[in-house]
Amino acid sequence: MLSELVVEAWDLVKRYGSRVAVAGISFSVFSGEIFGLIGPNGAGKTTTLRMVATLIRPDKGLIYIKGINVLREPIRARRHIGYLPEEAEVYPRLTGYEHLLFYARLRRPDRVEETVEFGIKLSGLGKRIYDRAGDYSKGMKRRLLLAIALMTRPDLAILDEPTSGLDVYASVHVRRMIRDYVRETGSAVILSSHNMLEVEYLCDRIAFISRGKIISMGTPRELLEKYGASNLEEAFVKAVEGARGS
Amino acid sequence: MRGYGFRVLLWKELLDLSRDYKTIATSLLLPLIFFPLLGLLSLALITQQPINVAIVDLDRSTIHNDLLNLTFSSKDLVRELMLGLEDYGFNVVIGNDTDVLSDPDIDLVIVIPRGFTRNLTSLNSTAQIRIYRRANVQASTRAESIAETIINGFSSTVSREKVEAMIRVTGLNASATAILQPITTREELVTISGRRVGVEEELKGLFARVLVLALSVVITPATSFIIDGIIGERERKTIEMILSLPIPVSMIIYSKLVAATMLGLLTAIADALGFVAYIMLTTMALGGSVSLPIDPALLVLHSIIAFFTILVTISISLPFITRTRGIRSASNIASGIAIIGTIVFFTGFLVDYSRLPTEIKSILYIVPYTHSILSIQYYVIGYTLQSMIHLLVLIVLSIVLLAISTKLLNTEKMLLAPPS
Repeated sequence: MLSELVVEAWDLVKRYGSRVAVAGISFSVFSGEIFGLIGPNGAGKTTTLRMVATLIRPDKGLIYIKGINVLREPIRARRHIGYLPEEAEVYPRLTGYEHLLFYARLRRPDRVEETVEFGIKLSGLGKRIYDRAGDYSKGMKRRLLLAIALMTRPDLAILDEPTSGLDVYASVHVRRMIRDYVRETGSAVILSSHNMLEVEYLCDRIAFISRGKIISMGTPRELLEKYGASNLEEAFVKAVEGARGS
Repeated sequence: MRGYGFRVLLWKELLDLSRDYKTIATSLLLPLIFFPLLGLLSLALITQQPINVAIVDLDRSTIHNDLLNLTFSSKDLVRELMLGLEDYGFNVVIGNDTDVLSDPDIDLVIVIPRGFTRNLTSLNSTAQIRIYRRANVQASTRAESIAETIINGFSSTVSREKVEAMIRVTGLNASATAILQPITTREELVTISGRRVGVEEELKGLFARVLVLALSVVITPATSFIIDGIIGERERKTIEMILSLPIPVSMIIYSKLVAATMLGLLTAIADALGFVAYIMLTTMALGGSVSLPIDPALLVLHSIIAFFTILVTISISLPFITRTRGIRSASNIASGIAIIGTIVFFTGFLVDYSRLPTEIKSILYIVPYTHSILSIQYYVIGYTLQSMIHLLVLIVLSIVLLAISTKLLNTEKMLLAPPS
């Protein structure tokens, strides 16, 4: 199956006052691909993902999602996106089912029932889906939110630190969810993470980000070879040090 | 999709609100319970509050006027005062001398001095009664006022009997009423079209003023709800996923505004009903009775005005609220706006805005709340057209301000707190 270009981001720049958060980032993501953004805190990962998700307008640069200019037609572009923010939370007084119903009605009004069914399956919450989300554990909340982001089978899923703050068991469950989802739907995924094991397990291609710039990009194997490293963590450290040196 | 999307967003807001028992309790149930409870408490406390009145009759005499063939006695006045004051629930004791003045348990002392009956019976002297009221005892004022009413009634009876006796003795062709009350007035209540109306029309005016005052208490819960809906969602990290939906940010704002306004509207109705219950109960506590004529059209008008008053408040505060860093600073802004609203509506409770000179009214027109007040006040006095004009101005103002404030917003402003 031929991969289709889903995301094209060119020379993205974003400033907050005098601070430059993103300083000219370009990348592409194809269908069926999981693309990882790796970088330390404050490197510009979340700002980049928010720009792709149409929530923040870049000061410079262009983004196309499925050929749609995100800056010109953000609402049209959002129809192709499922987004999971890093620190997303649930509405404690609504049940998991009501969450799914609410987002399904707004994202897929023509296929609400089918979308909710898929969301319930994705979340793996079983009968707990009918409980108030405020009573869920952190892992259950994250699975619910991830199900919301993925249940409409978007062409592009943007997942910011999908396993952030989760225990080992919950993290494994979420990673399986993401991998199985991409295999089943052929969607494109952009994710950011601090966890190198997670990135190695999930991502087809990786971009190392430091100080608002992509300092290296390739498949995990290519990056390991490029930096002569035995694991991605070592490759990342060498890439950052190399970027500082240059 | 726009209408459908709005309905779905509103469904979520109302579902969430309906389960927010704390907000519902503070906004709706509190005024419905609090104000009547306050009235009941006043009723209970007033009836339980012992007010002691002492009557000291130093005169204790009965004198006959031979010329008029009339007999008056200080004991008659003492009896009338006793019965009248006891009817109102006061404790009445008969004192022997003015030493009762130094008794701390006595709140009001009525002294009938020596020579009282002689002066009362004569045709060229005035009898005097001394009333000593304990300062700073609020309920003793009411006892004094009732005592004065009884004494005035007694005084009128005496003068009538004297005049009737004089007419009888002199054989004049005269009427006691014509001599005692040469001028009488007859008051009739009319509308602006000259139609005669009953006293309930006056009460309608009082009710309308209460409705104006009730508008002041609807602003705070509505602005708090909108702060929670925007800044609270930002702080609780629930807004980012909503903003990523394929719907315009204005639709998200509108759904929150409508939910907040609906809450405010229900609060306004609860407050108005609570106020009415409070007034009725406190009036009953003071021995009166009130039956308020509820005009359904006025209630509908009040509801519409409350809706747009809340909308205009939120529209003004929205750009400031979204540019704050947290709930605390947003609440400070909302408090400032609520204070302005309270001041304006309190003046609307006291002042008849429709009677103000045009030059003052023209300045006040800048404040949107002026139109809320004028719409209610004009309606009550029968100027329906003017009432509708001010309602229309309020509606247009709220829509224009809402359009401006939502134009100033975008997903980035909603999502990110401004830099400190």
